Amino acid sequence: MTRTSYEIGHIQHYYGDKKVLDIDQLKILQGSITGLSGPNGSGKSTLLKIMAFAMKPSFGQVKFKGRKETPFSPRIRSRISLLTQKPYLLKRTVFENISYGLKIRKDLNNLENRVKDSLETVGLDFQEFAQRKWHELSGGEAQRVAMAARLILKPEVLLLDEPVASVDNKSASLIRKASLAARNDWGCTLVIASHDLQWLYECSDTRISMARGRIFSTGTENIIPPPYDLSLKNQPVKALDKGEHILLPLTDKKDGTAVIQTEKISISNEKKGNRKFNNQATGVILSMLLEKSSNHIMTTIQVGDFSLNLSFSPGKAEELGLQPGKKIILMFRSKDIEWR
Amino acid sequence: MDFIVAGFLKAIELLISFDPSTWTAVSATIKVSTFSMLISLATGLPCGFVLGYLDFRWKRALRTILDTLLALPTVTVGLLVYALISSQGPLGEYQLLFTLTGIAIGQTILAFPIVTAITASIVENIDPELKLTLVSLGAGKKNIIVTCLWEVRYGILAAAVTAYGRVLTEVGISMMVGGNIKYHTRTITTAIALETNKGLFANGIALGIVLLGIAFTVNLSLSFLRKQ
Amino acid sequence: MNEKRLISSLLAVVFLVIFATTVMAGGKNLMMATTTSTDNTGLLDYLIPYFTEQTGIALKWTATGTGKALKLGQNCDVDVLLVHAPSAEKIYIKNGYGKDRREIMYNDFVIIGPESDPAGIKGKKITDALADIQKDSSLFMSRGDDSGTNKKEKQLWINAGMVLPEKENWYVQTGQGMLATIHMAQERSGYTMTDRGTYIKYQDQKGGNAPLKILVEGDKILLNQYSVLTLDPGNCAGAKYDLALKFSDWMASKPAQELIGEFRLLGQKLFIPNSK
Repeated sequence: MTRTSYEIGHIQHYYGDKKVLDIDQLKILQGSITGLSGPNGSGKSTLLKIMAFAMKPSFGQVKFKGRKETPFSPRIRSRISLLTQKPYLLKRTVFENISYGLKIRKDLNNLENRVKDSLETVGLDFQEFAQRKWHELSGGEAQRVAMAARLILKPEVLLLDEPVASVDNKSASLIRKASLAARNDWGCTLVIASHDLQWLYECSDTRISMARGRIFSTGTENIIPPPYDLSLKNQPVKALDKGEHILLPLTDKKDGTAVIQTEKISISNEKKGNRKFNNQATGVILSMLLEKSSNHIMTTIQVGDFSLNLSFSPGKAEELGLQPGKKIILMFRSKDIEWR
Repeated sequence: MDFIVAGFLKAIELLISFDPSTWTAVSATIKVSTFSMLISLATGLPCGFVLGYLDFRWKRALRTILDTLLALPTVTVGLLVYALISSQGPLGEYQLLFTLTGIAIGQTILAFPIVTAITASIVENIDPELKLTLVSLGAGKKNIIVTCLWEVRYGILAAAVTAYGRVLTEVGISMMVGGNIKYHTRTITTAIALETNKGLFANGIALGIVLLGIAFTVNLSLSFLRKQ
Repeated sequence: MNEKRLISSLLAVVFLVIFATTVMAGGKNLMMATTTSTDNTGLLDYLIPYFTEQTGIALKWTATGTGKALKLGQNCDVDVLLVHAPSAEKIYIKNGYGKDRREIMYNDFVIIGPESDPAGIKGKKITDALADIQKDSSLFMSRGDDSGTNKKEKQLWINAGMVLPEKENWYVQTGQGMLATIHMAQERSGYTMTDRGTYIKYQDQKGGNAPLKILVEGDKILLNQYSVLTLDPGNCAGAKYDLALKFSDWMASKPAQELIGEFRLLGQKLFIPNSK
């Protein structure tokens, strides 16, 4: 399990003059589940489309299984599949939608049974749904059919871009289950972009967060996102609620993003008077989730208009009396903040 | 006004009595319109697809020229084709003047920009999700072209019907290139022009109704392609 | 869905069958350009089958204005001409486009107009009639299409010593065929000049009682001579000269001339055969 699926180095992508993706290094291991989080416009969809080889980046190349590949390359066709947020089906019956991928690679053995099985995986009854037309399905049902159409191809990589954001709960749960089954059944590599952090924490081996087209690793780093202001002394600051603000170091970078290593953030129940930390921000605990691999508690804290993620051992969490809804003070030095 | 009613009755009379001049005109009309539609679709659909799908330097200029050709008067096309196929013209040796083939060529020239321009518009407006979906399902370049065209089949049907309407009802080309020769190159539309010119308005209406009948039959047979 | 598919396939087959049967006329074929006035009388529909029967040559014809007919001959797009514009024909031959000009039949031109005759031209000589029309600014429809008829009409104005009233608003240039022009004249109660053959056809259309009547006739200048011209092989090497000559011979022959003389509408002769 140590072979890489993807090696992405020095990729940049532009829409017109706007830089939307700027990645130095990204490695994805075969059979792994990678969670991708980040606000809208952070470049997640663009990255996934490039990884699906649906488009070429403006600069740089993507290596798949050790080789540089381009769109339509025969080695990647039908091996990498992308599922997007909006359920999109071809204008034909459910059966024809699901069998499309197989038909074009002339893989027609035992077709009806395979379609039946793939419908089962997403919880749809063959008799009831196979002949339904694309416009006779609910959003959730359509997304499930779309998922089935990709799973039936048994791709090596499944890229999911907010796959359950627009569907009902039942469909969402079935789709999540089906994606995990893909990894378990044939070692499919999953890259999942989602706002559903709970799901990502539950199932993913690695988590990546993106902002402004750049990658940051969750867990070790936290992003203090834009917008930024200038104080009266021309020092960059981040405005928070109730007149509070975070002092940021000076920089001549134009469109940088402020980042701080998680270990540099200390937590306390009330503000301290000492001068060690020139930043003391009030936050509210939004959620606490158990991360299965480290047995730590991932805590999301809302600060101003953004959130930070810190990790605590269960003991420490108990000691501090952390619980969702509790007000907490985050302390850190502006010196420890980097501009990227 | 009474010639309209007389026209209706005359239409029935002409068709039922298998009047040879009417039926040869019907057959001539069907032949030339079918020929020109098949060729213009076969050439216009791929051209329209390429024009809509790809991005290249002169795309906008080409589109504008094409859209302008939509306004070509049929007599002008007729004159151009005449210049080409008359015995003094470059294609003179093929003796296409005063033949149905000549008319069909002219009508193909008429229909081609319609099919191409509408197809290009349709293809330009294809949901980008479609291409993503197809790539995700392992489609190659050829699969994408074919499947995209099938996905927009309703729009293409509209293009075909529009082009067909133009071709079926044109007079300028049929008259100029065909010569309105009775039993040979007289189409329904040139027959209408002749009857009207002779002042026999009821006959003109009658033939007009026959023409509508042809159009209706064709549209009926294409109706299975529509969304049910 | 299945029945619809069946119907459409059936219709598709029908279309393809019709489409596949092409008209191929083998054997001897002649292409003629003639004028709309000749064609509209129905003479050719009546006469030509006899020609084909008696000579075995199939004849197709296209009817246009004289100008275009001559042009088609010049461009070698047809093989033989049947027109009625003697001065233009003679120039045509001099220019090396036409040959073997043969007079076949004639009728005459007449001035027709509403029975009420507002300009009072009935029974007058042509020169006086035209002068009256101009004086009165009466509505006059002209073909305006440089056809044989139109050339004749222009000649009349010049012959009467008048300037061609092209820009006058009582002089309406229709740009259309003879029957259409007559109908316009009827519509607006105006005068027009037509050949007698077409006038009789018009009367026939109106069941014998047409609103426009013949008001001026008989002057020598109103003679309307129809002739057949072959195309000079020097200009058109490919034009079927011998077949065209056969047509010309036939049209001048006794049987054809008799047939022409027998062609009637409403009991009246439309054309008077006069080949030599």
